Amino acid sequence: MDNSSNPLRVALHGMDARSSKMMAMYLHGPCKGAAIVVANENADVDIFDADSVSGQQLLKDNRANASHRPTIALSLNALGYTDVIAVKKPVKTDDMLAALAKAKTQIQSVAETVRVNPSAGNARGGQANSAALAEKPVPVLKQYVLNRDDLNQASKHQAAMQLSEKSFGAFIGSVSGLDVNDPKQFHKAHYNPKDYFQGHVALAFAHCRLQGHEAQLNSGWIPLIIFPKSHEVWLDADDNPLRSFSGLAINKSLSNKIALVPLSPDLAKKEKTPEKFHSMDAFLWKIACWASKGRYPESLDINQPVYLKHWPNFTRLLVTPHALRIAALLVQGPRTLPNIAESLNIKPQYVFVFISAACALGLAGQAQRQVDTLVDLPEDKPSKNKGILGRILSKLLGR
Amino acid sequence: MSQYKIIFTGPVGAGKTTAINAISDMPPIKTDAAASDMTKTRKNSTTVALDYGVMNLPGGEKLHLYGTPGQERFDFMWDILVNGGIGLVLLLDNTRSDPFVDMKFFLDTFQKFIGETAVAIGVTQMDLSDSPSIDDYHLQLQSYNVKCPIFAVDAREKSDVSLLVQALLYSLDPELEA
Repeated sequence: MDNSSNPLRVALHGMDARSSKMMAMYLHGPCKGAAIVVANENADVDIFDADSVSGQQLLKDNRANASHRPTIALSLNALGYTDVIAVKKPVKTDDMLAALAKAKTQIQSVAETVRVNPSAGNARGGQANSAALAEKPVPVLKQYVLNRDDLNQASKHQAAMQLSEKSFGAFIGSVSGLDVNDPKQFHKAHYNPKDYFQGHVALAFAHCRLQGHEAQLNSGWIPLIIFPKSHEVWLDADDNPLRSFSGLAINKSLSNKIALVPLSPDLAKKEKTPEKFHSMDAFLWKIACWASKGRYPESLDINQPVYLKHWPNFTRLLVTPHALRIAALLVQGPRTLPNIAESLNIKPQYVFVFISAACALGLAGQAQRQVDTLVDLPEDKPSKNKGILGRILSKLLGR
Repeated sequence: MSQYKIIFTGPVGAGKTTAINAISDMPPIKTDAAASDMTKTRKNSTTVALDYGVMNLPGGEKLHLYGTPGQERFDFMWDILVNGGIGLVLLLDNTRSDPFVDMKFFLDTFQKFIGETAVAIGVTQMDLSDSPSIDDYHLQLQSYNVKCPIFAVDAREKSDVSLLVQALLYSLDPELEA
């Protein structure tokens, strides 16, 4: 194919300005000028990015309008059109050149038909106009029906709060007479989540998720409204009173007042300020931290390894000190809680509070399978880039 | 002085430019514009289009932040781009018709690089589309035998992007200290 002297004129579809620029450069460079990008009305060939938001629909419209211009579609997947020249992504120069050559052959074939039967040319001109009309982009985003509540909620996610070691004590609290960091006191540095608001909230969440209905959890304090479909809760209280309430062992004193009931009409009608919505996970994680006060759940044997199923979604959770490091280590394989603290050279309370929150969300638990305890943990190899990685971390943490 | 870089990749619209902007110490440079100017005088070697930002580190070092072009997926530049990279940040747009296809594509494409370094995945636009959930992504990842961080990310939020990069660094070495 004579590339540079007689380039194909192509129109690009389903590509933003930047992508179009990139494609123009690609045709000019690696494809050695086999084609040039022109306006739709001047083009001989259409090229679609069939994986883009609008590309699939534009391609569908193009085929529905029975465009006679050769059509090239770039896609990761097979598209199922017999009359479209497909180029699989990642786009390779040889494949693109072959597609352009095929398009050129098709054009020459049509030109030959027109020469023999001139009326065919008029029909083609009409199709070109209809193809131009098909240019209007029709996005194929997923469909969303946003009502007023949705609009209010759209931007109300709370960015994660990263607690430093300094702020940990004041924010999380402690148990008087107990030094959770003293290995001799590890055996009593535990708590029972069921004694706290955490336990009741966890049970209520499980019930609401199963039933799929909104409900309110009465607790002798402010009712907690649960919206299982949107995975959210609403509580008409700020963090300070919530922290205090979450740290109280309420099971004995308030047990007769704790009940999960259908949402009352009054509460249903009440205007709900967006800032008091929380994601269910973020809420449970936070109140587990406050119930824990640096202790671990009593269901765990501190001498047996625990596992972490996967990384928590930290951007939407309270990030306790060293939580990312603990997650990174524990996701490699089960370890005992003291071993984690020792490996990372951190106070055990940071491990205990993390594991309490992770257990509350069902992300962590005692390694039960024998294979979990027999598995060889990866050897701690010092990273060759430790220095630079540490400096990047300092920068990110503003130190 | 050594040069260090982190690569941001993902489909178009996933927020790569915005994410780089969120943590860069200078406004990100879109090198496709620069390259198009260069094509006036030069040719094939200018066909690189990517976003660029930089973090100035203590001691005068720089961390370079490169965003790959998202839509075209020209493979010829990616090998060059990842050479010497510290790790990969993969941003996925949850409003795309099938974000798992995108995830598979990018994990497959960067498989070798990820094997040598690490990857952290940020899922954007979750406020518009909460499905698939982060748990769904973790389930999908099981087949890749990869246990990497996956966070919901608003690429405009510096704290979100910062946490994602921190998780990437700790994935490389949990014992790191700032």
